[in-house]
Amino acid sequence: MKHPLNKLAAIPALALAALCLTPSVWADGKQKIAVVVSTMNNPWFVVLADTARDRAIELGYDATIFDSQNDTAKEAANFENLIAAGYSAVLFNPTDANGSIVNVRKARAAGVPIFCIDREINATDAAVAQLLSDNYAGCVKLGQYFVKTVGQTGTYVELLGLVGDNNTWNRSKGFHSVVDRYPGLKMVAQQSGEFDRAKGLEVMESMLQAHPDINAVFCGNDAMAMGAYQALLAAGKADQVKVFGFDGADDVLKLIAAGKIEATGMQFPKTMARQAAEFADEYLKGKRDFPQKVPVAVQLVTHDNVANYGDYGKK
Amino acid sequence: MRLVRCLIAFVAVAGFFRLFPLFHVVRLESAAGQAATVFDATQFAETFWTGKLLPSARSSSVDAAVLLPAIQADAAAARKKYSHGAVLGDTYFYFVSGSGRVTSVSDDEVSLRVTKGGHDAEVSIQTGLVFGDALRDGSGMLNPGDFPDSQNFNDISAALDHIAESRVIPALRKQAKIGATVFFAGCAEVDDESTDLKPLKVIPIQTALQ
Repeated sequence: MKHPLNKLAAIPALALAALCLTPSVWADGKQKIAVVVSTMNNPWFVVLADTARDRAIELGYDATIFDSQNDTAKEAANFENLIAAGYSAVLFNPTDANGSIVNVRKARAAGVPIFCIDREINATDAAVAQLLSDNYAGCVKLGQYFVKTVGQTGTYVELLGLVGDNNTWNRSKGFHSVVDRYPGLKMVAQQSGEFDRAKGLEVMESMLQAHPDINAVFCGNDAMAMGAYQALLAAGKADQVKVFGFDGADDVLKLIAAGKIEATGMQFPKTMARQAAEFADEYLKGKRDFPQKVPVAVQLVTHDNVANYGDYGKK
Repeated sequence: MRLVRCLIAFVAVAGFFRLFPLFHVVRLESAAGQAATVFDATQFAETFWTGKLLPSARSSSVDAAVLLPAIQADAAAARKKYSHGAVLGDTYFYFVSGSGRVTSVSDDEVSLRVTKGGHDAEVSIQTGLVFGDALRDGSGMLNPGDFPDSQNFNDISAALDHIAESRVIPALRKQAKIGATVFFAGCAEVDDESTDLKPLKVIPIQTALQ
């Protein structure tokens, strides 16, 4: 008969074996970093995710992109998978400021640090740090330029982003904090284009049917601005309606240079993504003192200064 | 017998819901109290303005007679030494105070000439509509990490801008006559150094005729 202590003696050996097999450190000796992005169906987010992944690889990690397809359920599944797969850290672009908190908490409980990029979660005790564009300030600048170019009278429409995302409202509020001070400027319609180019086109088409004489459209991102511009072009109104976007996407910069779109707010996705990867690296090497929110300044890009910008940043 | 069973079941169910009620009846006043926990940006801005910003207007700000020559000499060094603001990016803020002689007055600004120790520089006190984050971020006393929802943090900006517009700027417009000497304290946002430093544009939080 074997002594019960023999079984106990096996426990440390099993624990050691489990530690060796734990997938956070792989056979090639590299830890793994996950990049979870709200959508890869938008060039701006592709740049954000690719830059985060590439910087993590430069820093010596294996890195993989997970696409949440703007779906909180898909995002939750991504987190289940990456936690089970033993990823060491997550560079996270959330789909929903409130709905994504549970995923961050779940990862945190599993010992996986999260670094939010571009979009925030409405909690300051879950992620290690959040690197966020100052959307409000960026849209204050856009609002001021809007008044300067459209004038103090006229009608306009607004294409909002995803209604559950704080960026949507920070942009809208920043813009309205300026434009609403001019009573001659009337917003005749406001609808979500879900940050999506095709949806933006569709919404703009229907807005134009109801309001054919508008002077301008303010779009919560550049993908919708491209969709809106496409709708205006098809309706023969591209010269009549001034288009304003937000992001600093390359296709919009080209149209600003060509005088087709008025302005955008340049976010710096590469700067944010690189910094998030560097924060994760510092965390995994032992640093713990990070600012919870790191604001990233947004620059106004117009026909006058567009030559200074390109490739999702300043030249 | 059946009646007894029904009675026992009724008592059991009643006891259960007594312990675990489906809903609570509360007084309207206490319900209103719960609703009041929603972030009130106007109240926060008022408390911040009177409790922190105004009391530190002289003590925590940089003297314009020091800052303006420093900017003229080396804008990058001045930024590093005296500014607050975004950790990443080109935008930053100054919390500044000083005295200057009024050289011009328009609908949107009062220009002051600040002179000290042989140095001489112009500063523009903004007197038009006030927008943006300068009053919130200029002093460096508020941390965005303290606000889980950035919408609340941004609402503070709008509320502070309103205070400056409604309380400070009207008084300055009355005081500002060409040749008068005016004390000012305020915040300046620098977004584009080629335009925002020449001259520095200050949103006032306090002014006084000297």
